Amino acid sequence: MEQKVLVVDQQKCTGCRLCELVCSVHHTGSSNPSRARIKVVKWEHVGIYLPMTCNHCEKAYCVEVCPTKACHREAENNNRVVIDKNLCIGCRTCVVACPFGHPFFDIQDRVTVKCDYCDGDPKCVAFCDPKAITYVDADMIQVTKKREAANKFIESIKQVR
Amino acid sequence: MRTEPIHPTRYVKHLRPQKEWKEIIAIYLYLAGMGAGSYIIGALINWFINPSKVIPIWGLPIDTAKVALLWGPILVAIGAPFLILDLGIKRRFLYAALNPRTSWVARGFLILSIFIVFGLVVMAKSVLPFEWLRPGSPVWYLLEMIAFIFAFGTALYTGILLKATKSIPLWNTYLLPLLFLVSALSTGSMAIILSTLGPGLFSLDAAALKISMGGEQILVVIEGVVLFLYLSRSYRASEQGKDSVRLLLFGEKKLLFWGGIVLLGFIFPVVLETISSLSHGNPVLIFAAGVVLLCGGFFLRLGVLSAGIREQIPMHRLMEIQYELRTMK
Repeated sequence: MEQKVLVVDQQKCTGCRLCELVCSVHHTGSSNPSRARIKVVKWEHVGIYLPMTCNHCEKAYCVEVCPTKACHREAENNNRVVIDKNLCIGCRTCVVACPFGHPFFDIQDRVTVKCDYCDGDPKCVAFCDPKAITYVDADMIQVTKKREAANKFIESIKQVR
Repeated sequence: MRTEPIHPTRYVKHLRPQKEWKEIIAIYLYLAGMGAGSYIIGALINWFINPSKVIPIWGLPIDTAKVALLWGPILVAIGAPFLILDLGIKRRFLYAALNPRTSWVARGFLILSIFIVFGLVVMAKSVLPFEWLRPGSPVWYLLEMIAFIFAFGTALYTGILLKATKSIPLWNTYLLPLLFLVSALSTGSMAIILSTLGPGLFSLDAAALKISMGGEQILVVIEGVVLFLYLSRSYRASEQGKDSVRLLLFGEKKLLFWGGIVLLGFIFPVVLETISSLSHGNPVLIFAAGVVLLCGGFFLRLGVLSAGIREQIPMHRLMEIQYELRTMK
C-alpha cells in the first residue's frame, strides 16, 4: 500500500492556528488548542510560523522508550505510529524522547496523545486554507518540491524577459 | 536607539529546557541513587569490617549496626513511589514493566524491584537473630551478591535513564551515568555516616566511621572532577549541549547550579569536614556537612534534569537561517 505522510510548507503558514482547533475538536470534542495533536510554533517578532506535527519516524524514539508498548507502529495502517490510550500510563517518556517534541500530554485524559492522521483523513489538511499542510504520497514529496522549484524558476525567467 | 535584535532560538532568555520531568523525578532519581549507593558502601563495610552492635529491642537481640549499613533498599523503596506519583494514571503503574526489551523505564522498574526485594531480605537476615535463617549459609552469600550487583545497577540506571534520551545532548553522554554513580556513592556513604553519628542506637565502631569519612571525602573530590568533565564534554557536544551548560551556569538555573550544586554539594561539605577533622570529629560539623551534601546531591539531579535542552531539528535551523536573512536586510 502507498504510504501517505503529512507535509508542512512553513512559508505558506499564516499562523492562524485553525489546524490546532479542528484537531482538538475532532479528537476530544472540545475546541481547546492545548489538547490538539498539532502545534504551531511561532516566532512573532520575525513573523515565522511553523506547524509541528508527528513525523511518524522510521526509527521512532517514542516507540523505543515507551515502557508499556502503548506507543507502537501500525505497519498495516499507513505505517503510522500511534498511542494506545488503554495502555498508556502517562509517564511522558515519549514526550521527553521525541526530538520534535511531538507527543503531547493530555491533562484531561492524563495520557500522552499524538497525531494518528485522523484515520486517513487529516482534519488539519482539510481546514488549512493556505494549504500549508498537505497529505501526500511519501514518494511524491520530492516531485512536489522539484515542481515548485521549477515553477519559481519559470517565474523568475519571465520577470527577466 | 536601535536595539540589538533578539535571536529567535539561541538567546539565553529564550532557551527552553524540557519541562516534562521535574522535581518529582529528581526526588525519585535522588532517593534511588542514594539508597543504592548507601547499600554498596554499607555492604562493603559489612563484608570487610563486619561491625556489630546488638541491642535488645522488644526482647529480640537486634544488630542495629547492620540496620545503619544496609538500609539502602528502604530509601529506594521510598523513592520508587515518586515515579508512580509522576504518572498520569497511577493505578496502571504495573504496566511500566511491559517493554523491558527496548525501554529503560521498564528495565529500571525491574532492576529497582529486584534490588528492593533482595536488599530487604538480606537486611532482614543480617539484622534478625534467628538461627533457623542459617546466616552462614552460602545461599545468603549468593543473595548478598545479587543484591550488591542490582544496587550497582540501580545507581547506574538513574543516569542511564536520562542517557537513553538521545535527543537531549546534555543527557546523552556516558559521563552522566558515571556522575550519578559517583554522586550515589558519595551521598550514600554520607547517609550511612549520618545514620551512625553519635553514641546512639546505630553507632558503628570508630574504624568503620573513619573509613566511611575518608572514602566520603575522596568521593566528593572525584564527583567534582567528573562534574567538570561532564559539563565540559556537554559544552563541546553540540549547540544545544552548549546552551544547556550556559543555562545552568549563567542562565535562569545559575542559582541552582552555583548555590545548590557547587556550594551545598561540594564547597560546604569539604570545608565543614576539614574543620571537623581539625577539631577531632565534631559531630555537629559532620552532621551539618552531611545535610548540605545530601541537599547538593538532590540539586545535582534537579539541575541536570531541568537544564536538558532538545537537539535542534533541521526546521529550527531553517528558521535561524531565515531570521538571519531578514535581520541582514
